[in-house]
This record gives sequence, C-alpha cells and structure tokens, in this order.
Amino acid sequence: MNEANERDPYNNNSFGTLVDSGYKLVNLPVLDVTDFNERVIRGYEEGWGERDLPADLPLARSLIPAGTATLRDFSNIAPEIPEYIPENCTGCMDCVTECPDTAILGKVLSETEWEQKLKQIPEPDRAMYAKEWSKTKKYYEAYKKKLGDGGMFQIIIDPSKCKGCAECVTVCDDDALKMIAKNDSVMTRSRKNHRYFKNIGPSNEKYINENLLIDMMLKEKTHIYVGGAGSCAGCGEGTALRMLCSATGAKFGDQWALVAATGCNTVYTSTYPYNPYLVPWTNSLFENAPADAIGVRMRWDQMGWHDKPIWCIGGDGAMFDIGFQALSRMLASGYNIKVFVLDTQVYSNTGGQASTASYTGQNTKMSVHGNAFGGKQERRKEIAQIAMMHPRTYVAQTTCAHINHFYKSVLGALEFDGPAIIACYTTCQPEHGVADNMAGEQARLAVDSRAFPLLIFDPRKGTKIKERLSLQGNPAVKDDWYKNPKTNEEVTFIDFARSEGRFAKHFDKDGNPSQVLLNAKQDRLENWHLLQELAGIR
Amino acid sequence: MSTVLATHDFATGGLEAAQEFLKRTRAELRQLRKVRVWKDKLHVIDVNKDGFEVRGLGYGDPEIVPLLKMINTAFDPGKIHEPTTQEYKEFDTGRRHCWAEDRVM
Repeated sequence: MNEANERDPYNNNSFGTLVDSGYKLVNLPVLDVTDFNERVIRGYEEGWGERDLPADLPLARSLIPAGTATLRDFSNIAPEIPEYIPENCTGCMDCVTECPDTAILGKVLSETEWEQKLKQIPEPDRAMYAKEWSKTKKYYEAYKKKLGDGGMFQIIIDPSKCKGCAECVTVCDDDALKMIAKNDSVMTRSRKNHRYFKNIGPSNEKYINENLLIDMMLKEKTHIYVGGAGSCAGCGEGTALRMLCSATGAKFGDQWALVAATGCNTVYTSTYPYNPYLVPWTNSLFENAPADAIGVRMRWDQMGWHDKPIWCIGGDGAMFDIGFQALSRMLASGYNIKVFVLDTQVYSNTGGQASTASYTGQNTKMSVHGNAFGGKQERRKEIAQIAMMHPRTYVAQTTCAHINHFYKSVLGALEFDGPAIIACYTTCQPEHGVADNMAGEQARLAVDSRAFPLLIFDPRKGTKIKERLSLQGNPAVKDDWYKNPKTNEEVTFIDFARSEGRFAKHFDKDGNPSQVLLNAKQDRLENWHLLQELAGIR
Repeated sequence: MSTVLATHDFATGGLEAAQEFLKRTRAELRQLRKVRVWKDKLHVIDVNKDGFEVRGLGYGDPEIVPLLKMINTAFDPGKIHEPTTQEYKEFDTGRRHCWAEDRVM
C-alpha cells in the first residue's frame, strides 16, 4: 500500500506528509504492521475488507498501527478542490495551519537547491511543477538579504486527503487559493504536483524561524496527525487536534501519548482500520479518560518516563458532564497530565444533545426549541473557572483561529510541571448550523462576542489570581463589548447567535431576538465581568 | 470582489424577478461567504470572491430584507435600513440548518 498502484497511480496515499517514509514498525508479537497495512488496509481501500477479511487477534484486541489513515483515499468525496495561486501568496501559513485534514502542506527550499532539485522532475512536468513555487517577501526577499540565497516557498494540496471544505480559501487573506471543480485533468495535475512535492525532500530548516510559531508545520516531525480521519468536512476538532499534535511534536517528537474519551474524536480517529496519529493512542470509555490517563501516567513514571507528556482529550460531554468527576479527581491529583477539551457545546457524536457547555437558548436534542421552551434554559457551565480553583492547575481557554494564543496555551501547558487543562472552542458544522468553511470565522466571532473568552491561568505567574490570569488576546479587554471598527457597532452574543442555525428559531420575522436569547447575552456579559474581575481589570 | 459573474437590474416591485435571478445564478457561485449592501446595489460573494450584483436596490429599500433572508445572511432586519458612514454594509452568509433540527426525540 505504500507504493503506487492502479488505484493510486501517483502514490499520493503513502507514509509521510512532507516527504515519503516507511511504515512505523513496532516490536509487538500481537501486531504485524506490514501485514496489517498491506492486507487489512488494502481490503478496506478496495472495498472487500468488511466482507472477506477473517477475524483475527489484532482485531479482537482493537489494535491499529500508527498512521494508517495516511493510506486512506478521499479523492472522490468532494466535487471541488483548492487551487494554489503562487503569485499572490505571502507564506503566512494560515491555510496549512487551519486545514483539519493535513491536506494542505507547505515547504521552503533555498533557491539554489530548488533549481538543482527541479532537475530531478521529469522534463514534461518540470514547468508545471516549477510554477507552483512562489517568491514571497517572508521567505525569499528577507532571506536573500540575510543569507544571500532566497527561500522558494510552496503550498501543495494533497488530493487524497482534501475534503473540499474551503476553510483554507476562507482563511487566506491574499487570494492565493480558490476552489475549482475537479475533473480528470485537475486531479492528474494535483496528484502529480503532490507526488513531486514529496519527492523533492524536506524543508531547509535555515528558512524556518523558530520564533514564528505558525511556521512549525514546515517540519515533518510536527505532522503527528497525518490526515485521513473520518471527520466531517471542515471539522473544527480536526484542526484543533492537528495543532495540538504539531505543538507537542515540535517539542517532543513522537515521544508522548494520547488518552481519548469516547466521542466524535474517537470515532473519526479510530474508524477501523484507519488511525491518523503517529503516537500511542488509547480509548477506554466516555467517562473515565482522566482516570485512564492517571493509570498510564503512573506506569510511565514507574518506567522512568517522567518527561514524556500525556494528553487526555475529550469533548465537552466527556469533560464537563459524564467524566467531570474523573477530571476533577485527576486535576486534584497533581499528576503531570494535560487535558484538552474539544468544546463544541453539544454532544456532537450522538446526534446533538445538550451538554452543560451548551449556551442558553441553544436548540439541541434534549432541549428542543418549541412552544413551551426556547431551547436550553440553563446557563453554560464554565470548565475553565472550575479548573482554576483546583490546586495548582494550569488552565487555558483558546481557539484555533487565534493561532499564537493556541500554541502559547499548549506549549505553556507542556512546560508546566503539573496538571493542565485547555478548553478549545471547536466549531461543529452540523450541530452549530454553519457552512463547512466557517470553523475559524465562527471561533473568532465566539471570542469577539464574549461567547467564549480567551484566557490563560498560569499558577507560576504569582500568588494572586489576578497575577495568574491573563485575558490577553480578547478584543477590547477592558470594555463590556468589543466594537467592530468598521461599523462602530457592539459585537454581542446576539450577533454571534444570528450567524448560526442553532439559534435561528430565537429570531422573529423582524429579526428581534427572544427573551431567552437576551438572557443568554446577559449570561455571557456576567461571565465576562467575572473574568475581568478575577484578572484585576474590573 | 474579483469577478462579477452576473448582474441584474432591479425595477421597483420586481422582487420576484430579483429572487428568480438569485436562484438561477446561485449554481454559478461556490460556497457563499459575504454579502455587501450599498445604498443602491447588492453584492453576493462566494469563497473565491466571485459574485453577482443586483443593481438599483440598496439597504434603504424594503425589498432588500427578503432577498437577504433568502441567502441566509446574518443581518438584523431592524437595523438594515439605517444609514451608515461606511461605503457599504457587510454581512456573513454561512448560516445553515442544523443536522436533523426538526427531529424530536
């Protein structure tokens, strides 16, 4: 499966994201990685696996080798694919960072080595591939002055992983990407370019600025989440997990692990036989991931692996509700375990039931909007504030749209020598009622409207709460509401609600919000005031 | 907006024709992204920044409300007719129905 074949003529589905690599072999008597990838993955990719593969020991033990999802082909699930327009690109890396599927990748080479390596490309395709590279101010002009040799920069779309969500086009402020219809010619060009991109070798690290967090995905070792997961097109969780894996991979390579609570994340990252992670991953139940993580931590500590991080991941259902006791116990334990909450404010996986993270007024199963009740009547629980009151716990609340804040939150948690929890706003397109390309836009609006304030609470920063808590990153941090500079109008929870289907029934034909929604707005303002007070701003 | 793919001239009372125009031309655009409303024209813009234009209809006109609703614009009908110091008013268009929102358990 790791070579070209009839179904994958340009070998786009192969191990390694930026460059080719071999299967990650493990010395386990219960799992033959090569056999699994060649026989089981082939069976599923060719469509006969479920029918004809015999039940065997690895299946009975629920084992999947690392990174098998990289062999999965999504070429035929979307009618459109992004096209790169190199002359407009500034090398900002927003598209690479925000893609939920590791389907858009970046590379930088010195102009000299680029010219040499281009000679390896077959002559008939050389001009086509050379056109895909750009001379940006960031990599070419700046490094031409600094090193005497400019950096050539390329963005490439992996047609086997792209689901056509258009998130990359939406976050691009420079018109360097656009969606085009797929046809044989487009797909052949895209597949060839992706193949040459892998063949040309890794980025030249001289051109990667270590101080620019957004450039970290130029390094192969940060691609711990390889794509090929079964998440929805544009899934906000996918981006969050990718960025989490990149930041952790940048510091620890693949020497760390994930303990996952059941939810959407476990379904799309372990749909047999596909696994998008290159690090050890385990899933026990919905409610016990933090307890499970304690067990792994204790064993690792016994083995002397104190420095290897463990991320415990789960949705708001798992962490705010069903697994809350286990989470609280874990935070109180003082163990060096990091928790990452994929906060979609709803039980996304089971069809959209309300959780305690759901907003007041949200239309969900279990709080259906009708004549008697206008959606959820209770107020949202704030896991960050609760976690802050646990002994010596690092806490952050962030979104993928705030890239620097996200990476600082994750790196801060990893540096902290004790329990940490990060709650991340993750757009769920089907449950929030927004388009596939809107994950980042809605996360930004959630912060701007005080629906989901950014925060970092670092116990090392001082002895008082206000010294530990930072609201940096929120707009107009001293004010009640942020004002849109274009219109000078306040951006409130009502504006956020107006943009999402989950609140649509709260607006009458003249656009007036219901009383329940006005209560929700007041709830968000009171939550913001509380944070301001704790941070010493109010 | 990079390219205007289609235009329609709005005549007073011609709401139905404008709605038909938006329906007919919708397939030429990709995922809708933004709507911009001037005093006297409307732009519907997709992720590629291509779009179409309705001329002769602006934020002051009552007919703008059903047109904006038709394309899921996140706007306040109570404020849309108010004057602005800006060249145009801009709104998002990414709202959708939630998955199975009318299914009662």
